[in-house]
Amino acid sequence: MDGLTWGVVVVALLLGIAWYLSYSAARLDRLHSRVEGALSALDAQLVRRAEATLELVNSGGLDPASALILAGAASESLEAHNERAGDDLLEGQTFAGRELIESDLTEALQIALSPQAVEEVRRVPGEAGVAALGRVRAAAVRVQLARRFHNDAVKDVQRVRRKAVVRWFRLAGHAELPQTIEFDDELPPTVRE
Amino acid sequence: MRIGIVCPYSFDVPGGVQFHVRDLAEHLIGQGHHVSVLAPADHDTALPGYLESVGRTVPVRYNGSVARLSFGPVTAARVGRWVDRGEFDVVHLHEPVTPSISLLALWAAEGPIVATFHTSNIRSRAMQAAYPLLRPSLEKIAGRIAVSEDARRTVTTHVGGDAVVIPNGVNVDRFATAVPRPQWQGAEGAPTLAFLGRIDEPRKGLQVLAAAMPGVLEAYPGARLLVVGPGDAEAARARMVPEVLKATEFLGAVSDADKASLLASVDLYVAPHTGGESFGIVLVEAMSAGAPVVASDLPAFLRVLDGGRAGATFRSEDTTALTHEVVRLVGDPAARAALAEEGRRRARQFDWSVVAEEVMAVYETVTHGAGGVRADTSGDTRWTRMLRGLSRPSDD
Repeated sequence: MDGLTWGVVVVALLLGIAWYLSYSAARLDRLHSRVEGALSALDAQLVRRAEATLELVNSGGLDPASALILAGAASESLEAHNERAGDDLLEGQTFAGRELIESDLTEALQIALSPQAVEEVRRVPGEAGVAALGRVRAAAVRVQLARRFHNDAVKDVQRVRRKAVVRWFRLAGHAELPQTIEFDDELPPTVRE
Repeated sequence: MRIGIVCPYSFDVPGGVQFHVRDLAEHLIGQGHHVSVLAPADHDTALPGYLESVGRTVPVRYNGSVARLSFGPVTAARVGRWVDRGEFDVVHLHEPVTPSISLLALWAAEGPIVATFHTSNIRSRAMQAAYPLLRPSLEKIAGRIAVSEDARRTVTTHVGGDAVVIPNGVNVDRFATAVPRPQWQGAEGAPTLAFLGRIDEPRKGLQVLAAAMPGVLEAYPGARLLVVGPGDAEAARARMVPEVLKATEFLGAVSDADKASLLASVDLYVAPHTGGESFGIVLVEAMSAGAPVVASDLPAFLRVLDGGRAGATFRSEDTTALTHEVVRLVGDPAARAALAEEGRRRARQFDWSVVAEEVMAVYETVTHGAGGVRADTSGDTRWTRMLRGLSRPSDD
């Protein structure tokens, strides 16, 4: 092969590499925004769940002790959100330690919403209790969805970022490696249907 | 919400995925959403207004059976234009790993994308070979849905990641309001039993029920077995002993309305399936119509029957146990009424109103804060965009 052919081959090769790098960077970028989208959805649904729990507390259908337990757990959840409001939600990709707080609210809902308690709430005149129960359920279902979708996206990011091309060319930039979010988001059996 | 749904299989032929897409789309439209369904269909087929045809299909052998699929550069360009024009808030793809337009739409779109996996038997060989190519596309799916636990297992093993299980929907009211027909109703001591499913497919279990029938006839000589479903009736007759044959009527394939009426008429619906069922939609249909259900204890059936509360179960392929259950229930009208009641209640959970609400929850989760579906331009350069622009054929 003469020099010209070699030149063409080298240029083609370089173009190919450049395209692959920009394509890989775009792919990673898209994955990162998927994680961010799912995380902000999770955050929004957690707020809705806590607010619906407070509505339920104020609907008057619960005994004072159960109401206090729920109100405590729900306000902790809202506080944790407000502290982060405007900030980077991820705070070092650790969900800012909110896992325990959200697990606590899940557990509080499971304990407080016993079959008898739900029966009482449904008997409250004016449907306020039933409506609040419905909102708790709707938000809790969406919390489950958002967390699962988030963790799926995180696993995809982690896999792509293990790729040699991503590591060698630092395609991830300074973005931290996202981590899955693990907390108990099981629905109380009494509101599952 | 503006919703784009993609169905990979031709709307000209009936099939589970097509019915699912049709029912979901109609339900969402009924709730006031804007829905556009993209599917292959022949131009001379009468199409519902929400359906946009992507053109004809080609019969292709894939995954062990012949499927009518649509693909190729012209189809891909049409799919791209549909995504471009639709301005969808969310695009919902069905069977995204089938080589048809769902995969093409996944290739063409970017943004809030939801995918539903129906099948529980993806051939892993094709998947493994094409995986490096598919992977970047599959990463675009923001929310994965599986229609059953088995389908979900397929997703976790072959595709990676997880999926939320949202079952198939049933139009419960269509069955609940079915009018019983006297010729299918039993009498005191002469009950009617129903079997539904392909009669020459062993895993549907007609042979199990046939083997259990002599014991039933011994207790109730007037009992009748009504067999509904396509298949070779002569061959099925040849396999039956004379006394059972005399008590059996083969009705062949029947219309949806007749099926509903039959289920509303009979004293018991028997599901003797031996395996390969990932959901058991026919059980939900029977429960909706108010037929007490006796089913084999397949995991999928136990889930549908709420662990056995909404229907009686017997050990799969155990004909003695089946005989026993049938005889017990025929002799106990109160128990049958209780099962029917529990079944009606259970079936409500599989109604499209409930199922579509769950799908909507998925849409809301993936669209949160996202800007809607766009055409995918990653990996595009000015050159490829120009080339694509040149190669786009005009609409016919």
